[in-house]
Amino acid sequence: MGFIWITALKDLRRFWRQPLTLAVWVGIPLMVGVLMISLFGGREGPRPQAYVLVADEDDSFLSGALVGMLSQEAAGDYVRAERVTREVGRARIEKGDGTALLIIPAGFGEAVLREDSCTLRLITNPSQVILPRIVEEGLSIVADGSFYAHRLVGEDLRRFADGPPGGANVFADSTVAEFSVRVNRLSDRLAHYLNPPLITMEDAPPPEEDAETESVTTNAGMIFLPTLLFMALLFMAQGLGNEYWEEDRLNTLRRVLVSPRGVPAFVGAKLLAAFALMLCVSLIALAAGYAYLRLDWSTLPPVLLWAGCAGTALTTLFTLLQLFAASQRAAHILGMSLLFPLMFLGGSFFPVEVMPDWMAAVTRWTPNGWALMWFKRIMLAEAGPGPLAAAFAALLAGTLVLAIICGWRLRRRFARG
Amino acid sequence: MIQVEGLRKQYGDFQAVKGISFTAEPGAIFGLLGPNGAGKSTTIGCISGLLEPSAGRVTVMGHDVVGDGPASRRELGIVPQEIAVYEDLSARENLAYWGAAYGLRGAALRARVDAILEQVGLSDRAKGAVKKFSGGMKRRLNFGCGIVHEPRVLLLDEPTVGVDPQSRVHLLDHVRALAASGACVLYTTHYLEEAEVLCDRLAIVDEGVIIAMGTLAELRAQLGEKDLLRLGGRFDGEAALGALAALPGLEIVQADAETLTLAVAGATGRLPEIFRVLEGAGCEVRETTLRQPSLESLFIKLTGKELRE
Ligand SMILES: Nc1ncnc2c1ncn2[C@@H]1O[C@H](COP(=O)(O)OP(=O)(O)O)[C@@H](O)[C@H]1O
Ligand SMILES: [Mg+2]
Repeated sequence: MGFIWITALKDLRRFWRQPLTLAVWVGIPLMVGVLMISLFGGREGPRPQAYVLVADEDDSFLSGALVGMLSQEAAGDYVRAERVTREVGRARIEKGDGTALLIIPAGFGEAVLREDSCTLRLITNPSQVILPRIVEEGLSIVADGSFYAHRLVGEDLRRFADGPPGGANVFADSTVAEFSVRVNRLSDRLAHYLNPPLITMEDAPPPEEDAETESVTTNAGMIFLPTLLFMALLFMAQGLGNEYWEEDRLNTLRRVLVSPRGVPAFVGAKLLAAFALMLCVSLIALAAGYAYLRLDWSTLPPVLLWAGCAGTALTTLFTLLQLFAASQRAAHILGMSLLFPLMFLGGSFFPVEVMPDWMAAVTRWTPNGWALMWFKRIMLAEAGPGPLAAAFAALLAGTLVLAIICGWRLRRRFARG
Repeated sequence: MIQVEGLRKQYGDFQAVKGISFTAEPGAIFGLLGPNGAGKSTTIGCISGLLEPSAGRVTVMGHDVVGDGPASRRELGIVPQEIAVYEDLSARENLAYWGAAYGLRGAALRARVDAILEQVGLSDRAKGAVKKFSGGMKRRLNFGCGIVHEPRVLLLDEPTVGVDPQSRVHLLDHVRALAASGACVLYTTHYLEEAEVLCDRLAIVDEGVIIAMGTLAELRAQLGEKDLLRLGGRFDGEAALGALAALPGLEIVQADAETLTLAVAGATGRLPEIFRVLEGAGCEVRETTLRQPSLESLFIKLTGKELRE
């Protein structure tokens, strides 16, 4: 064990003496991050905005209220609504213009007041992932609101739907006043349901069948933090994957291969060094991210551990790939040619949340995409202890298998004159 | 002690080592002398466990390098032909790392590192990054890294290539001291002078085989106190050889249309006679080189070619 520690420390010292390399590994994601956050906005900046086209075929007081609600002040930051006809709306969504088309059918207002069934149709833009979710969730909360309203003041609502009693044209002032008072009291109580939930979507549990879709958060920073961290981990993994070739270039590999502890200890030490480096970089990035985004600190330790393990696993993957190259240069090219597809497909450049659906479906089958998915679950405290332990076990087992093949390949590749 | 028996190493179709056997004893320096490509590094690789022998058996202090790799590797110190140090670390850090790799720790390690820094003359540059070192300094450090753990068996693969003459003398003294303190040293080189002044026993290797082996005195005796006479010019094969063969105490080592190599005792006095015979046979001599008996002349005698090419 002593030798493994000493070797890992030696490597960390070497990395530390190459600050430029480190700066590139961490700097690229940082630059991309600054760029993206300046485009999409972080905690304080402008947020991604859903652009909802509404075909209001009911044109009642309630449908108007619904449209108004969509663009009310609290939601206004996230959702902008525009009235269109059904045909125009469909055409625009098909062209990819707008987040979703909401069709409010004629008879909606009546149905709500009578608590009849009524279907709102929401046609979402397939090329956007998170934003349609925001609209959907928002609407479902409105629907919940209407359900609660009926439980509380259903009697009044039905009376209004029936029209003024006794053939009168208008409601009696007293009736309206009585109702207003009740509605005011009610809206006080309902405010809790109607306003904040429209925007706090983090707490909504993800639907069972598409668990791979991340719990939606409207916070751009929360989307970019994992993405950028994994981009950095990937860059580091590709760089560290060249370590055996680097030791070969220095000829130190030969000394190592003929030292008493030999290959297994050496491979173990490289893993340990990679883990330590990944952990350090993740700690800095995540501490900054957690503070900035005001995330729940209690999830930091498991998230950090996951990032370190995932980074180490990725390093082992890159290492193994590069061990099949014919030269250090070829190894580097091979590493790069894995890095970019993994980065783009695995949601480590563009967040999976902004990917087209077909691409997002591929993401979780990439190693980094899979690790990223679990990372977010851990970050949002959504993973139960059982599945989490299973994920960790899978990650460690994968790393171990890759490392064993690395050790075998290392001897084949470098034991020569 | 290193025992090598019938060692062969095959690279695809090419056999780099073709059945080498020798024994290197503790407290002595055993030399492997041969030109580039002779198979010296390959032999060292098989002893160190870096390469797997294609055939034959190698033991280090009684441990089979294939069957009991870790035990044999623990006995070894290796100074590879190529400089093998971490460029981003300091000299001290390099030495400390390789010492630790062989199990040295704490105060014992520090003491050894200090001693080696002193011995290889890098004490005043102990903290500087190795990448700023000159080639010679790196060579000295490379040497130090191989001996920091006081190995009982030391493999040195051309450790003086690229070292300035002064450091070289130093380094050779050092190797002698290690042998004197009981270490078994295997030293490869293509420098004759080095082999002559350093090695207690040596094997001359060419194209993967040992062509002569013994102490310096034994090897010289093989040459039979003969000088080596190398003639350049135009030689008419058959006739010249026939005439020369009639001369007593003269051995033809090599002959072609432009060069002729002869082993002759007391060659200086016999030059006129040789020239006369050659002239009589219609040959023309334009160039004459005469060598006293030495390893070089032995090598030429055995292989018909120069060691330094
Ligand atoms: N990995 C290898 N593959 C093929 N041939 C090799 C390899 N290593 C060395 N050789 C060949 O084996 C021969 C002996 O090489 P080497 O042992 O390095 O010679 P030396 O150290 O005496 O100069 C050379 O002809 C060299 O080209
Ligand atoms: Mg060599």
